[in-house]
Amino acid sequence: MAIVASSSRFGRQARTVAAWAVGLLFFFPIFWLVLTSFKTDADAVKPEFLIFFTPTLENYLNMTENYDYWRFATNSVITSVLATIFALFVGIPAAYAMAFNPTHRTKDVLMWMLSTKMLPAAAVLYPMTFITKSMGLFDTHFMVVLVLCLINLPIVIWMLFTYFKEIPKEIIEAGQMDGVNTWGEIKEILIPLAWGGIASTALLCFIFCWNEAYWTVRLTTTEAATLSKLIEGNRAPEGLFFGRLSAVSAAAVGPIVVLGWFCQKQLVQGLTFGAVK
Amino acid sequence: MSNRKLPRLLQTPAVLLLLIWMLVPLGLTLYFSFIRYVLNSLRKPEWTTPSISNWRGFGNYEYVLNSKDFILAIQNSLFIVCSILFLTVILGILIAVLINKAFAGRGIVRVLLISPFFVMPAVNAVLWINMILDPVLGLQGLGVQGLNGLIASLQSAPGVGWFFSLWPQFEPISFRASQTSAYAVIIMVTWQWTPFAVLIFMTSLQSEDEQCKEAAILDGAGAWSQFRFLTLPHLGRPIAIVVMIQAIFHLSLYAEIEIVSRGNGNKNLPYLIGEFANNNIGAASATGIFAVILANIVAIFLLRMVGKTLME
Repeated sequence: MAIVASSSRFGRQARTVAAWAVGLLFFFPIFWLVLTSFKTDADAVKPEFLIFFTPTLENYLNMTENYDYWRFATNSVITSVLATIFALFVGIPAAYAMAFNPTHRTKDVLMWMLSTKMLPAAAVLYPMTFITKSMGLFDTHFMVVLVLCLINLPIVIWMLFTYFKEIPKEIIEAGQMDGVNTWGEIKEILIPLAWGGIASTALLCFIFCWNEAYWTVRLTTTEAATLSKLIEGNRAPEGLFFGRLSAVSAAAVGPIVVLGWFCQKQLVQGLTFGAVK
Repeated sequence: MSNRKLPRLLQTPAVLLLLIWMLVPLGLTLYFSFIRYVLNSLRKPEWTTPSISNWRGFGNYEYVLNSKDFILAIQNSLFIVCSILFLTVILGILIAVLINKAFAGRGIVRVLLISPFFVMPAVNAVLWINMILDPVLGLQGLGVQGLNGLIASLQSAPGVGWFFSLWPQFEPISFRASQTSAYAVIIMVTWQWTPFAVLIFMTSLQSEDEQCKEAAILDGAGAWSQFRFLTLPHLGRPIAIVVMIQAIFHLSLYAEIEIVSRGNGNKNLPYLIGEFANNNIGAASATGIFAVILANIVAIFLLRMVGKTLME
């Protein structure tokens, strides 16, 4: 038994070292991005300054001048926030209806909603461009918000549905006894009860909106262009602007990575449609 | 029962929105795929407006199927998707099993591990192709340069110099060529999606039956047979889910391809559609329909699996 114990202690230490190594390895590219963002463009490509260099904030201070960062960032914030709010606004009543008043078709409706999420975006590339352009909506915030909302709506409804289902039906029905109408039921009873679930759904929806990189690139030019478009437009600096490009990239992903840390658990549910528990 | 009517109606806005969102563009794609429709044509100006009189039947599909680019794009799509799936599932299982047991700093390691998943695709591609994989200025270039420098200095070292003079000069790999840029895409997407696989497998491992495991240990099962006969079967379903979800996502991979390999021949299906859509809308739409069919093959299986757990 003593041998087993000592080998398991060694095993535990080996496991700790290996796990940390893997974690650091996966985080390294992000670390490298942030590190490079504190180097001047000239220093960023010199091997002698690989690790030891004089850090500078100039890349961050010049982000507006170099890339017009704040305009794109503002667009990202506006479109992602509005799309999330709109998705919740449509999604909460829908999920409420399906969770508390299911019919024999509810399951099919939910599955169908998910299936819309699985259509490859590229398949409808030209029709979407055609529609937006002919309606004068190309490169407008409205269109970006609408598209972001619609592509995330199935996941939002799905997640809300799984959260709402956890709430005992009796609580909602008790409200009906007290003469509360449907709207009151949602506002007074459901939303306060499912607050945590709604918040994490919103957070995840916001993250997906922020990172969306097909329609935001294809349906905008300048006015409503988001950070995805900004980075995509500066993709090949040929080594000239590694410092400044790193800074603007780090500023584009930093807030979201940090937000993401807080919703790891919801991520599983949101992305697997509750199929993995 | 009448007071249940309004609550049920509340799903209508969502259903209608999604219905329009799905049917209108897809309907247009289907329509465009059967007509001759180009954006610029000096020879046939009547083809530049969509009209039923330009009916082409399955002509666009034939054209697409016969174009060399289409076969290449399909091959490339499948190559990229399958490689990513293979790597993420293997790495995901290994890492999930590794961090499933408690160790010092487990929470921090989890945070470090999951971070890549939240990096936006455009930044992911720009970061990898420039700062890391660039053959001259990226870490790869600098690393190879450093290695060559080290070997060069060892060659003049007394005693062992003859040994190192047998070593070749290392060449950095350029990831912007048409074949290698597919590898670059595979590397960066694997980096981004392995955390996803880890997260799912970990969630699933936590529900593994501990008693079963203890019984197996008492019966003298080694670590490998525990893994092989208990853990792996337990992970069967999550593996299927990870494979299907990723397949759907990666079949429509776009930003990474666009950034890494614009114009160098490394196309996938969405990229080819984008290229066709610059002028030949008929062909773009027919390719789009093929993409829908390809995605649906995967999606049907996924939806079946999801549907089973739905009403529990």
